[in-house]
Formats: sequence, C-alpha cells, structure tokens
Amino acid sequence: MSQQVKIPTVGESITEVTIANWLKNDGDVVKMDEVIAELESDKATFELTAPQAGVLKILKQKGETVPIGTVICEVADSAQVAAAPASTPTATPAPTPAKPVSNANSQPTKPGGGPVAAGGIKEMKVPAVGESITEVTISTWLKKDGDFVTLDEIIAEVESDKATFELPAEATGILRIVAKEKTALPIGGLICRIEITEGAPARSATSPIVPGGNAVPASSGASYAAGYPSPAAAKILDEKGVATAQVQGSGVGGRITKEDAVKAQAAPAKPTEAKTAVPSAPPVIVSGGARTVRREKMTSLRKTIARRLVAVKNETAMLTTFNEVDMKPVMELRSRYKDKFKEKYGVGLGFMSFFTKAICAALKDFPAVNASIEGDEIVYHDYCDVSIAVSTPRGLVVPVIRNADALSMAQIESEVIRLATKGRDGKLSIEEMTGGTFSITNGGVFGSMLSTPIINPPQSAILGMHNIVERPIAKNGIVIVTPIMYVALSYDHRVIDGRESVSFLVRVKEMLEDPGRLILGI
Amino acid sequence: MQYNVIVIGSGPGGYVAAIRCAQLGFKTAIIEKYDRLGGTCMNVGCIPSKALLDSTEHFHAAAHTFKDHGIDIPEPKVNFTQMIKRKDDVVKQNGEGILFLMKKNKIDVYTGVGSFVDKNTIKVAGKGKETTLTTEKVIIATGSKPMSLPFAPIDKKRIISSTEALELKEIPKHLIIVGGGVIGLELGSVYARIGSKVTVVEFLDSLIATMDGTMGKELQKILRKEGMEFYLGHKVIALENKGKEVVLKAEDKAGKPLELKGDYCLVSIGRRPYTDGLGLDKIGIELDRGRIPVDDHLKTKVDNIYAIGDVVRGAMLAHKAEEEGTLVAEQFAGQKPHIHYLLIPGVVYTWPEVASVGYTEEQLKADGRIYKVGTFPYKALGRARASMDTDGLVKVLADKNTDEILGMHIIGARAADMIAAGVTAMEFRASAEDVARMSHAHPTYMEAVREACLAATANRPIHM
Repeated sequence: MSQQVKIPTVGESITEVTIANWLKNDGDVVKMDEVIAELESDKATFELTAPQAGVLKILKQKGETVPIGTVICEVADSAQVAAAPASTPTATPAPTPAKPVSNANSQPTKPGGGPVAAGGIKEMKVPAVGESITEVTISTWLKKDGDFVTLDEIIAEVESDKATFELPAEATGILRIVAKEKTALPIGGLICRIEITEGAPARSATSPIVPGGNAVPASSGASYAAGYPSPAAAKILDEKGVATAQVQGSGVGGRITKEDAVKAQAAPAKPTEAKTAVPSAPPVIVSGGARTVRREKMTSLRKTIARRLVAVKNETAMLTTFNEVDMKPVMELRSRYKDKFKEKYGVGLGFMSFFTKAICAALKDFPAVNASIEGDEIVYHDYCDVSIAVSTPRGLVVPVIRNADALSMAQIESEVIRLATKGRDGKLSIEEMTGGTFSITNGGVFGSMLSTPIINPPQSAILGMHNIVERPIAKNGIVIVTPIMYVALSYDHRVIDGRESVSFLVRVKEMLEDPGRLILGI
Repeated sequence: MQYNVIVIGSGPGGYVAAIRCAQLGFKTAIIEKYDRLGGTCMNVGCIPSKALLDSTEHFHAAAHTFKDHGIDIPEPKVNFTQMIKRKDDVVKQNGEGILFLMKKNKIDVYTGVGSFVDKNTIKVAGKGKETTLTTEKVIIATGSKPMSLPFAPIDKKRIISSTEALELKEIPKHLIIVGGGVIGLELGSVYARIGSKVTVVEFLDSLIATMDGTMGKELQKILRKEGMEFYLGHKVIALENKGKEVVLKAEDKAGKPLELKGDYCLVSIGRRPYTDGLGLDKIGIELDRGRIPVDDHLKTKVDNIYAIGDVVRGAMLAHKAEEEGTLVAEQFAGQKPHIHYLLIPGVVYTWPEVASVGYTEEQLKADGRIYKVGTFPYKALGRARASMDTDGLVKVLADKNTDEILGMHIIGARAADMIAAGVTAMEFRASAEDVARMSHAHPTYMEAVREACLAATANRPIHM
C-alpha cells in the first residue's frame, strides 16, 4: 500500500509552504516517523515525517511552494523494503550526484573473509543545513582516514555559523577523508569518500587485491574525480592559497576548471604565513619578555556574528533608552517561594521568568516593540517568541522561548535551562534559534552595570539586563538603600517611536516593582 | 656583471629555464661549456638520433615496401656521408634557433665552463679568458654523460658511446650494443635498418625494463623480425678493442659463456649526472649517488641555488627537464606551479615508437591496485593497414572500480605523438569510458587508443 503525504495545517494564517529541503532522496527507504523533509512557511521552519515505513516517491521538488493539503510525496509500503534497513547503499538507488556502483553478484571475495569491495564509492557532501547557511567547518574528525565505518555511525562534527551537528556515515566502508579539520566547506562541498564494502574488516581496512579479471562496467558519473583540479586550476588555487576542498568544481564529474579556480576566493591568512610575518620589521623592544601573536581562522559562527552585528549598526536606526528597577519586591517574592516552587516544579525560580513575563505583558501593550520590518511592510506578531542570548565557548547564540506569553513561570524557567544547556553543549538545532520576535540579553551575570545591546535582526528591540547592586535612592522623601538593576532597551527607531519604547520600558519596570500587576494585567 | 638568475647548462632544461626567467622579467644569463647551445638533446641526443632514424626509415621503406606500394626503383644505396651531413645540418639549424631565442629574450650567453666561487659568484672559464659574474639565484642544469663499463673505457674508436654512434664514418658491419635500454635500441634500430648486423647484450631479462612489460616483449618481437639479435640476462665480463675489431665476452646466469666479435661496440648502459668542474664543494653541496639532492621545489641545500633535469632525481628526459626549468623560473616569480611526475611521458624512438604514461601493469600489481586492462592491436586498425605499419598495440590500464585511466602504453607508428592524448586524459583524471565516448577521427592511429579504452571500459571494442 502506498500512502500519500500531504502538507499538514501548520497554523491558522499559513496558506502555503515552501519545500526547503528533502532530507531523503527519491527512492530512499524511510522509517515511520523519520523526518523526510523540511518545510518552510513565512513564520517558521518545520519538519515533515514519514507516516509509515516504505519507499519514498517525491512528487514536489525542493524549492517549490505549495498550498496546505497538497500531496508532496508518497511512501510505498512493502514487506520487502520495510525489512531492509534505511539507506543501505545496495538497496538504495544512489542519491545524486554520487553514484555507487552496486554489483552484489560479481563481487570478488577476499580469501579469509574481511571487507569486500562492493565496487562503489559513496561521496559525502555537505548537506543543506539551513536557509542562510552557505558554508560549514569540519570541527573534528571522529574517525581517521582509512578507518572502517558503518552506516549511520557518527564520523565527524561539523560546525556552521548557527549550530554544531554530527555527521553520520552515509555508507558502510572505508573512510577516505577529503576535507581536513578546520577547513571551511561550501554547501555541497566534498567532505569525504567512503569506499563501500560488505562485511566488517578482519584485520586491516585495506582494499582487497584482485588484479585483472573481468571488467566491471563503470559508472558514468566519474565522481571519483570530483574536486580534482585541472593543471592550470591547481596552480592558480595554490597561488591563491585556496584548498581544492573549498572549491565547487563545475567541470565534468565535479572537476575544478580553470574558471572555477579563477573565481575561487582566497582563504584568510594561514597560521604559517603569520609565523613568517612576525619577524619582519620587528619594532624596537626596550624591555624583555615574549611578544608573540597568535592568529586563528575565524569560525563560521564568529564570522556570522561579526557580519550581522555590523549590518545591524549600518542598516537600522538603533538607539537605547534606560531605566532602573527596584528589585526588592521581586527578590522578596522569590526568597519567600523559591523552595516551594522548586519542590513543586523541579526548577529554581530565577529572575528570567519575571522579566520574560513582564516583557510579554508589555509587548502586548506596545505591539510595535514586537514587530519587524519586512521590505515595505511592518509585520506585527500576536505571539511572543523571546530570544535569550546565551554565551557559549563558540560564541553567542540566541535560542528562542516559543510562545513565551502562554507559558507559566515554571515552564519559562525550565525552557531557559534547557536552551542554555543545549547552547553550551553546541547542540542547539537551527529551528531552536530561528524566528524570535524580541530578545533579552543579561550582561549582569558577568557584572555589567550598564550596556547598550545590539538588536537581533529582524527583530526591532532588545532588553538588556544588568547586575543588581544596592544603591541609595530617594523614596517618598527618604534616602533608602535598595537592590537596583539598570535596564536598557535598544530599539529600531524606524519601527518604534520614542514614546513607545520608553513607555514599554517603564511598563516592564512597573510590573517588576509591583509583581501583583503581572497577575492583574495592569 | 650582476644578474638575477644565472643558468649553468643550455640543454632543454637550462635554455627553457632561462627563457622563462627572462619572460618573467629577471635579468638572466646562461653559461654553456660547448660552442653550440642545446646540450645533449640538441647536439648528441634526441635531435640527431631522430634525424638519423628518419633517414634510415626512408631507406628501409625504399628498399622494402616501395615495391608493395607499386613503386619500382633501382635498388637504393645508402650515402652514409650525406646522411650524417643532413643530420649535422639539422643540429646546426636547431642550435642557431636557440641562439636566436636567447637574443630575442635578451639573455646573455657565456661560453666556457661555469663554476661556483661562492653561492652568488660564478666564474666562467672560456677560451683564453675568464669572466666573473654575480647573481642572486643559480639554476644548475648541467645534464648527464654516458656511463662506461669499469673495465672498458670508451675509446671513441671502436668502443663508443651514443655521441660517437651519431657521427661514425662508416656503416658498421656488426654493431654490438651493451644495454637494451632506450638509447641502445634507438641507435641499434638506426643501424639495423641500413644493413648493420646488430646484437644487443642486456643484463636484465627484458628490454626497456622500466616500461610496461608488454612493451618490452612486443618491441623485442618486432626488432627481432628486423634482424636484430638479443642476449638478455647476460653479464658482460670483458670488452676489448683489438684494433680492427672488438671482442665482447659475457655469460648468462648459469655461467654459460658468450663471445661476440664486431667492428664497433656501443656502450649504452645508462647516463651519469654531470657535475664535473662545477665547484659544488665551494658551496657545500654534496652529491647523492652522483645526483644533486633537491627538495620538492628543486632547491638544493643552498637557499638561492636550484638544480633541474638530469643532475637531479627522476627520469633523464628532455621534457622532464623543461618542466622543471619552467617550474623553478615561475617559483622565482612567486608562482606555484606543479609537476605531476607520474604524468611525464616516456618515449623510445625506435621504429615503431614506444611511448607510455602513468603506471605500468607491474607497478599496479606491486601496489595491490584493482585494475583492468584493455588492449587493441594495430593489425585491426584500418589506418595502420593502409600504410603497412601494422606492428604494435595500445594498452590501457584503468581502475576497476572507478574506470579512471591509470596508465597508457603504446607501441607502434606515431606512438610518441599519440601519448599526448593519454597525458591529457590523465591530467584531467578521465575514465577509460570518457575517452571511449569522445569522437576520434577516422581513419587514424588514435582510433586504437579509443578502442583500447573501450576494451578497458567493458571489454567491448568495436573492431575486434
């Protein structure tokens, strides 16, 4: 039986979606509930799962925009294919463009068992991992060149500017690494090859020796030469300092042509060049001590952060308004109930939930702060997806608390912990980091007294939290000492007027200084 | 005089390096010991031997195949003096051509023995005068000389090297050749075609031993048909000039003696790198088995001194030296050229020619590669039959899994020209099927390459 897969209803205002990516190829064997495609609406990206196990037949191609309810693929059920493991090379017509030659019948057998060349080479290329991602970096190879790997075994960690993900082997066989660690690869760039074998290695993972013999018809793809430069291209790339792995070959079988090499962009200065650069024209050093510099290639994450932050400064009319919050009421409430809260919900009661709640309430009152500019239009959101800035060893990431306005305090706290932990471990998915409508950043955890945060585009505003310090303030004609936090709101003046931004921040302040308002909504 | 680059030696490596340096804007000088530029290749190697090969091939055709072609002429006779003179003319013209190229590129030519004073100073000892030159960089391209047997030095009268073999005054009645490599066989085939009895004594068990085994076997078969005799697996133990004849004594592996008598003996057991008088000791360069040690950039242990061609590792081939000369010159200009040594073709200019590129079958076997073989004989080729050049075959080796061409070996008419197609295919890592799917004009010898590729692809040649 074949089952049709339709675009599900994903939200009330969404009438059509775009097929962002097929994660499975036409003809692949898929398991029930396995993610087969990524769909993209104007609001979010979501995944499409297989309704049953079977063979996938793709009807609508990547990039097509289709209305809700459209049949985009079929999954044909059959006992035979269901029994086969998913994506086994011998059972699966090869994904393009690599074309393993499967020839189970005419396999040479190595005496004494061991891996048997299945006559194919699986080329693993960088998958399309997200809409705005153009390149990834191989952060770590978990397997060595020449290692025997099995299907779906994790062989490398790959880092994009948004997330780190693991790379599973697409075939069983001997790994031939093409892209070295720390090299950047474009989407579709060749990562490695797997010489497909059948069976596990007995002693070593070398290819069996079968001289002569009957000729096996070759694959017409000639993909073994993908990424191989022509003589002129090799010279040009070397002079530019560009690795062949960084170039997408446009020639036959993915070969790198002279034109490809001419167009290839030079990589940033290599550490080795830096070494030679240091001794040239040394400044006169009066005192002793080492004066070495260290150069490292920017990670894709760091490059994206840099690019986007500068873009925000250039492309928005950003300014910041400040206020101060007397934290005493919140702190008192918190110290009074934190044990009971923890007991009941299993999470600690922090300040984040108070701020998030107050912000969501204020956003409802001042919708412009929760809006974004899209072309000539202002898009107002009737939900609050609050991005929270998390500092990780790799750099800043901003996961999103979805529908924060509808969550309870406990739910917000647990969501914050979940996202922050994933962020620190580099495990955040792209989906978890896209689509926020407003951001919070807390420089206070590092001791910041006051700052002017930068907007997280396409959002229009960001709230900066700071450290809580006991300060003398005048209240009802008396100087008292109370815990104060300065708060800052950076906003895009193109969307938000001064009245709205200031009023928004005052609203947040009022609710935090009198948490009862949060309940009453006043 | 102060130069950016000085090249020592004007063979194909040296003069090409000099021209490329000049093209890239370096003030360049070239030093040559002999009066005529061009080195071994141009004067006593490739060019003169090819001139004689062609002459003798014409004679052979006139004597043997004209009749079949329907051309009746009186029995042709060899005018050996004229044959040598024509060869000399060709050499002279080529030498003048190189001199013209030096002038055109504003390269200063110094005649004399160049030797190092220090790493930036070169002394040129010419006829009666000495010149001292200074330079930033030096390219050593002093080439090689024929080797002689330890017990029988080349006397240039009856025990001769390839140099003398190209300017004999008479056609040898019986030419004994020690060494069944490229040079011995090329010159042997020259003299065999104009009536000499030619006997080849080779220490190894096959001819042109570094090439694919099929080539040596096939060549031996063809040359034997021409009347050449071969003693393989024989070690020469004595060689003596008795005045009017030479006597060679050898023995096979079982110790069975062999004695040959002839009027000339060509010793072609190989060539040694030539660095005599270069003064390498002045700059602290020590030789490694006669060769100048260099790194991947052809740089010696002295930072500003480079060496190319026969004086460094690798095959002693003119075109290999040319590539290296170009590479070094371009490196000086900050460029990063490459040489794929595997893809430098090897050629033997016998008739028919032998040419090859890439791995031999023996190498693939030793490396444990999984490969397949496709061959196609000239006999089955329309073009070859039309011109009565039906000896030979094309052999293509391809990876069994990917079909990538790993080696191409051709013996037959025009092999030396045809091998360029193999180099091109392999530089672009073409598969056998890629070549098989490209249109090859009919009727041509190149069709044999396509058919061999079809055979390698899936054992489906059309004309077999």
